[in-house]
Amino acid sequence: MSTLRTATIYQLQIPFVESFTHHTAQRRFCDSVVVKVVDDAGVEGFGEGVPRPYVTGENPAFMIDHLAHTLLPSVLGRELPLIQAPADLAQLDEFVDPRPPVGVRSDNACRSALELAMLDCCLRRQGTSAAALFAVGGHTVIYSGIISAGALDTALAHARQMKLIGLQQIKIKVGYPDDVARVRAIRELFGPTASIRLDANGAWTLPDAVEMLGALAAFDIAAVEQPLAAGAVDDLVRLRQATPIVIVVDESLVTVADADELIERGAVDVFNIRVSKCGGLWRALEIARRAERGGVGVQIGAQVGETAILSAAGRLIAASVSNPMFVEGSYGTLLLVEDIGAEEVRFGRRGRGRVLGGPGLGLSIREDRLRKHSADVVEVRLPVDAR
Amino acid sequence: MPGEASVPHTRFMDTTSVYEAHVTALTESLGFRQFESGRLTKDQYDRFILNVGRTHTKSPQLLAFLFSMAPPAAAASIRGNMLEELGVADELGQAHPALLEQLLHGAGLAHRSADIRGLAEMDMRRLVTESLLYESLAQVGLAAMIEVTAFEYMLSRVADRMATALATHRGLSAHAIEWFTHHGSVDIGHAATGVRNIETYVEYYAIDDHDATTILEIAMRENAFIKRYFADVTTALVATTLVIEPAR
Repeated sequence: MSTLRTATIYQLQIPFVESFTHHTAQRRFCDSVVVKVVDDAGVEGFGEGVPRPYVTGENPAFMIDHLAHTLLPSVLGRELPLIQAPADLAQLDEFVDPRPPVGVRSDNACRSALELAMLDCCLRRQGTSAAALFAVGGHTVIYSGIISAGALDTALAHARQMKLIGLQQIKIKVGYPDDVARVRAIRELFGPTASIRLDANGAWTLPDAVEMLGALAAFDIAAVEQPLAAGAVDDLVRLRQATPIVIVVDESLVTVADADELIERGAVDVFNIRVSKCGGLWRALEIARRAERGGVGVQIGAQVGETAILSAAGRLIAASVSNPMFVEGSYGTLLLVEDIGAEEVRFGRRGRGRVLGGPGLGLSIREDRLRKHSADVVEVRLPVDAR
Repeated sequence: MPGEASVPHTRFMDTTSVYEAHVTALTESLGFRQFESGRLTKDQYDRFILNVGRTHTKSPQLLAFLFSMAPPAAAASIRGNMLEELGVADELGQAHPALLEQLLHGAGLAHRSADIRGLAEMDMRRLVTESLLYESLAQVGLAAMIEVTAFEYMLSRVADRMATALATHRGLSAHAIEWFTHHGSVDIGHAATGVRNIETYVEYYAIDDHDATTILEIAMRENAFIKRYFADVTTALVATTLVIEPAR
């Protein structure tokens, strides 16, 4: 059994190769928070969360403060549970201070970072891997490409790159005056067989959404993600009745309670499940289970600019759940100037990525790179007399 | 599909302007300006030197790959480059990896030589084992040729400035900086030939103009010069240590 002794929090700022834009934000660097835990045998584990103020209310400063003063004190010095089956992840979730955070909608990015770090540490200590735990060793996942907002010429350049590398599932960020021209051009570039879907990041009102989806339906749209602002569940129900296009929710879905409400209200066709947004693997899988029971599809999403840690975790979930409609993420060094793992997680030709089979989450984290790209580093440890 | 086609068509062969933009971005970058004006510490100059060593130690292997892919019309010049890298193009030739060793020795960094070779080997391993993005080996070869030629183009324009900065601000001898002065003098010709070779390659392998342009965009999507030479040169990080109470 393993007892956690120390932790280090890295607030990353890894520059992007180029900026990524959508309706709510323009990003130029990875703003993940990575947690490293070390147990009494010196075994390390790394986890990651990505704060999104407009989704969970968290920002990097909140994450560092909350992890250092609330969540890490609840786990350091305690014996970690034995993880022998996916169901044991519930114990890791319960291991962390369960009190709701103050001042934010949820502390899910913090929990994601800590849960993944503890899981990585537990599995390494036990001499096994997450791929073995989930019985997905050797599985391959097919990723979508995402075309950021911004100038049409730039969007088309990205689209050509994605076509060249063989991606056949494309998500286009919309919510701008040139949406119709953009979607038309990308559909023409890819031809009729590619799957094209939209993500409005909550840009539209209900009347806007009905009008825009009507105008865009001619381009054979597979789904539209977060057409309305989060919280507008009544309007989502109406929109779902007004359009034949599959509706995916992202920002509207943060907690298991959100999932239950959306299913009960019949407001959605597909959940976009992201490990960081949903609070780690256990909670993400719990939402996937609710979706399956409720007849709702799942998309395994990602955080823009996530590092290899969340990419590896997302790939595990994507390989574990039954028939995800779409999978996103694993851009690695296609977006980041440098990733933090020794292993390559970036998807390859046609968007294919194999589940990593190494110990823990399957990564060898390069701590020199973490330090190089950190805006702040906080070390958290027990006082000498408490060890 | 409804509507008219509106995908803009970009002719390939904008290689030189892309290279020029990257060279300008390098010389205007904070790291390079500090490097050239003597505002780096000795340790930072050393990191730059080590980065150059890591980047170029395996250049002969890359050129060997390009030679294996070369169209007949480009084979002679690529073979010439490769032999020059190996130091066997003429009787006075010196292998370029040996010039890099000379640089490390001259800078008092000979003890880091094995580390640099190890890192370069790791980079090479990653290059050849990571998931391929491209559809064919011909496309992979084009991407590699674009990147190798980019460095020749940059060095032909900037290597002499780098040599001067290292001599002036790091106190290196003319012998130590020979790798830079050599590249500053010979790569003007290499770069011009390299750009022509890229065009020959695209034509020989019948790579579609759109695809060739897209491969150029992917290969040059980030400034490899800044990334490889300066990424960790000007980093400053202060870690805060916080001691917390144990859980109850």
